[in-house]
Amino acid sequence: MNLQHLKGYFDYNATTPISEGVALSMQPAINLFANPSSPNRYSVNSHAAISQARDNIADLLSTDARKIFFTSGGSEANNWAIKGVLFKHLNNPGHIITSSMEHPSVLDTVRYCVEELGFRATYLQPDAAGHIKISDFESALTIDTQLVSVMYANNETGAIQPIEQLCSIAAEYKIPVHVDAVQFVGKRLIDVELLGVDFLSLSAHKFYGPKGVGCLYIKDKDAIGPLIHGGGQEFSMRSGTENLVAMSGISVAAEEANRELVYWDSHCFRLKKQMMDLLEAAPIALAFNGATDYDSALSNTLNISIDGIRGEALALRLEILHGFIISVGSACSNNKTKQLSHVLMAMGLTEERVLGAIRVSFGCFTDAQQVSKFVDALVTEVQQLLHISGGEAL
Amino acid sequence: MYNDIIIDNFSNPKFVGDLESADYKFEIGNPVCGDRIHMQVSFDGDYIRESRFRAWGCATSVATANIFCGSIIGKSVNEISARKNSEISDMLGELEPSQQHCINILSELHRELSLAVSLEEG
Repeated sequence: MNLQHLKGYFDYNATTPISEGVALSMQPAINLFANPSSPNRYSVNSHAAISQARDNIADLLSTDARKIFFTSGGSEANNWAIKGVLFKHLNNPGHIITSSMEHPSVLDTVRYCVEELGFRATYLQPDAAGHIKISDFESALTIDTQLVSVMYANNETGAIQPIEQLCSIAAEYKIPVHVDAVQFVGKRLIDVELLGVDFLSLSAHKFYGPKGVGCLYIKDKDAIGPLIHGGGQEFSMRSGTENLVAMSGISVAAEEANRELVYWDSHCFRLKKQMMDLLEAAPIALAFNGATDYDSALSNTLNISIDGIRGEALALRLEILHGFIISVGSACSNNKTKQLSHVLMAMGLTEERVLGAIRVSFGCFTDAQQVSKFVDALVTEVQQLLHISGGEAL
Repeated sequence: MYNDIIIDNFSNPKFVGDLESADYKFEIGNPVCGDRIHMQVSFDGDYIRESRFRAWGCATSVATANIFCGSIIGKSVNEISARKNSEISDMLGELEPSQQHCINILSELHRELSLAVSLEEG
């Protein structure tokens, strides 16, 4: 596989490139034209492709294939889990617990349920390391809490939430737990049965699969309503003729993740340590936002605030002058509002530190030489921006 | 996405710095996004001889400051003040909605230059 075009890519949490194996699996799937639901002989291969994909994802999550339901991606899975559970309580809308640092597909869905359907929500606040506290969760529980929805790992900081403890407590009160694991699946080992989660969302394009396909793990399908009524596909939970090309892609992506995940994780953690060491030795003032140790945060993610510069400006200089792609959580929005990272703000960072933040995320195609070149470029461009602002002469 | 005018002026801003003897200095800021631009201008008779800036802000606002500096050198304040809104807007090229606030920044730079000179003369 030609990796030259990925040399400057440091934005794996936004999306990952498709692996060679995934790409090779999708090309022949274009010819799987037969409707998997049809009873004719052409449909056998189509049906087999879906079953294989479901099996591979189930293996990745250490669960039964019958609990895997395909979606168009993480946002759909998140919407389905929340609305699917809460719509069962429309006659008696109660309480939801989530966190203030969730993905918009969770926050906006919860807000919709609150504003339009009469539910109430408690938003758990992360601490400075980016973690919610179990004691806050326990305090938030009410007699009519009907759903908990908390992400496994944060997309901006990589902070890993105490999901196992949270599930254990929620189970005592028989409250269903949905986990948005879009950033976690494919990066760390996961066993949904041991975890005790009721619903879990994932998305293929976060682990070298194609865009437009994901899954919702559903422990008990009686606990949630169908997303799409119709022809009965996905065990009558999400009707519609299946996207076999995308399913073939996620199938191989899940298989590769299951096989390579431990290696990818240790590879990324080595790169993360290397980048942290280089940055800490660099002649610029910076701070890491959120936890950075192995147990508390993803191995591939670093969120960095640099004093005296705007993250947005740094990201553009890194791209146009050095070819590096990173992400920023804050940007100009329009004349009247600014778009500050809701995650970093919830962690209590000052506005200046949020404006100076960038997110760097690695993947299996990143190497140590790229990390070294990236840090050199970052230092050069920070100094240039400080020169422009008058903060420090070159 | 950023247009070529913004990229050129942001990636290699020629007018960053301080003048040894500035005739006028003024500063503008955007209270919403926090952008700050500090301008220095020197005159040769009625015409602007040199202009330099320092800026803290997004890429487009840094580029805006550089574009302004380049556009006023060799011009009189009267010529600069006579620019229409559409001319000012065109100086930045096509902008994304999130970059539109820089048209206001550029307009304010024009206003502040006229104001600084008129206050000094008045």
